[in-house]
Amino acid sequence: MRTFLRIVALLALTGVIVLLAMIFVPVRLTPAVAALPADWRPAEGQGEYVMRAGDCAACHTAEDGRPFAGGRPIESPMGTIYSTNITPDPDQGIGRYTLDQFRAALYDGIRGDGAHLYPAMPYENYRMLTEEDVRALYDYFMNEVPPVADPIPATDLAFPFNQRWGIRAWNWLALRHPAGFTPVYGDEVLDRGKYLVEAPGHCGACHSPRNLLMMQDGVTLDGGRFLQGGAIAGWEAPPLSGPASAPQRWDIPDMARYLGTGRNNHSTANGEMGLVVEESMQHLTPDDRIAIAAFLKGMPGGEVVLPATTEPSETVVIPHQPAGDAGKETEALLVSAPADMAIGPRLYADNCMACHFASGTGAAQIFPKLAGNTLVQSDETMPLISIILNGAHVPSTAQRPMQLVMQGYRDRLNDQEVAELATFLRSAWGNDAGPITTERVAEVRAETAEDAGDPDDTARD
Amino acid sequence: MTDLPGRPSRRGFLKASAAGVAMALLPLSAKAQQAAAPVPLEQYQPVFFTPAEWAFVMAATARLIPSEGDGPGAIETRVPVFIDLQLAGEFGQAADWYMEGPFAPAADPLLGWQTPLTPAEVYRQAIPVFDAWCAQTYNAAFTALDPARQDEALAALEEAAMLAPEIRDFFSILLDNTKEGYFSDPIYGGNHGMQAWVYIGFPGARGAFLEWVERHDVPYPLGPVSISGERA
Repeated sequence: MRTFLRIVALLALTGVIVLLAMIFVPVRLTPAVAALPADWRPAEGQGEYVMRAGDCAACHTAEDGRPFAGGRPIESPMGTIYSTNITPDPDQGIGRYTLDQFRAALYDGIRGDGAHLYPAMPYENYRMLTEEDVRALYDYFMNEVPPVADPIPATDLAFPFNQRWGIRAWNWLALRHPAGFTPVYGDEVLDRGKYLVEAPGHCGACHSPRNLLMMQDGVTLDGGRFLQGGAIAGWEAPPLSGPASAPQRWDIPDMARYLGTGRNNHSTANGEMGLVVEESMQHLTPDDRIAIAAFLKGMPGGEVVLPATTEPSETVVIPHQPAGDAGKETEALLVSAPADMAIGPRLYADNCMACHFASGTGAAQIFPKLAGNTLVQSDETMPLISIILNGAHVPSTAQRPMQLVMQGYRDRLNDQEVAELATFLRSAWGNDAGPITTERVAEVRAETAEDAGDPDDTARD
Repeated sequence: MTDLPGRPSRRGFLKASAAGVAMALLPLSAKAQQAAAPVPLEQYQPVFFTPAEWAFVMAATARLIPSEGDGPGAIETRVPVFIDLQLAGEFGQAADWYMEGPFAPAADPLLGWQTPLTPAEVYRQAIPVFDAWCAQTYNAAFTALDPARQDEALAALEEAAMLAPEIRDFFSILLDNTKEGYFSDPIYGGNHGMQAWVYIGFPGARGAFLEWVERHDVPYPLGPVSISGERA
């Protein structure tokens, strides 16, 4: 008994010591992965380019806020996290950061004062940035971004998530991959694509599934379930690998076009991905977008044929795409339009068919295809219901300035009608997903009441 | 509390939810989805018309598109409600029209509106003049005449001998507004239940007829849909 008590006491003591160590012993920071010459300077625009590739503004610029002044609320399973000010203001921003402190934030998730950042900051991915890009980014934020001194709301999560030292244990498991980038292809384009996807693009943050500890299950090509599909803010981030994934179904120019303009011959980007296109991907060079598309195509073994350019040099007529074999039955029903057809297809004819057509194939570059559509058939049902209720918009990009707007049907369809329509869409043209209930529509209608607005409002965003 | 455009108020939302719950109890029909039943026409409280004007418009439109014979009439389709709402709104005020002179009553009607009065003012001034003419000619108000006499009186109104130049077009305005109320989308108060569209086979606000462009001599099978999503 005495021995047993001693063991318990010893264990408790060890536990306390480990805990104290975790809280008070400073984290050993990852050093630079390359020693650059003392006079190394980033090329003109390199830092801004890395910032675009890393989409820093997505989180660090609040809606209607000043660039990189932080304060954007990010909903996480643990509570609301407010992004930080990363302008060079010495007090509110990162103006006092040394290069080593800046690198520590990107590689180890360590703030200037030594505290742990919440992993809403994708340092799992930024950890793989090259030293050149880290330096360029540092130079950009220190010298090119105007400082902003406005205070932002402090992140205040409930216990135990407000104990930032706990993240140290999480990092032991999450940061087992080496810092810096490891090329594997021996091919400039594919390795460039791999780098952009893994490191700055942090695609895995949404498109890789998360494990039970909320870590990305696969942060690099050779790890876990890399890019096999995840979720972000109630949107499915569809798989980017596997035979049915978009990078395999689409050719490389179409994938690159999707990234650059938010639209291609199959689909349009809206929701979270629309923002990625608008804030990040459209600002990359065409070659980098081709590199990303080529990597995604080749990653699971698809044949990579590199195009010289993604845009045709002259005007082309894209013929209307007929329904595939799986879609013939639905198409025939909608074309014959019998007066006694069920409510689902009737609502489609009344509200959707003018743009998405009886074939469900939409129109290339404008209206997304609903047949085989990932979002339509997703287990994450919020986006489909929300788009029917509130509409959607595809952002204006430099290459394709016309913003595409779909109106919402919040006022035209009641919950039961939206449920019938959504259920129809999920089973039409060979689509194969379960029904949507009236109750689920009512939930989404209430949750997204803020998003409701006339298309003119959306157009001004 | 007024609902701002695109920002549903809480009350509006609760009302809509309550309506949603009520509707959820009914099975959905692909063929018919009516908006909540409006107040009966006899109990309708006009926003623009005085009681006397309202009685006249009810009686006059009932003769312009009568209820007997083929198809629905102006009364079942609530055309007077449409006219009342239009005169209370921007149309009545000629809000977005060019209303500076010169006005030349002798000018060809194709040259546009030739009176300084707004449509609402034309109705307001013309109805008492015409009623006075009816009293003088038939010794009775227009509403008290039998249908044959009403038709005769309306024919005289079309001739407009009893009307001053500023209001001489009253009959054609009334006739136009009656047709508009009969055929326009129910969202504006007339064409109740899309009866006029059903009658003429107009499919309404569907906008998807690609498959029908080259299909000749095949009856179009679907009933109409309105802007607000009613089906008939």
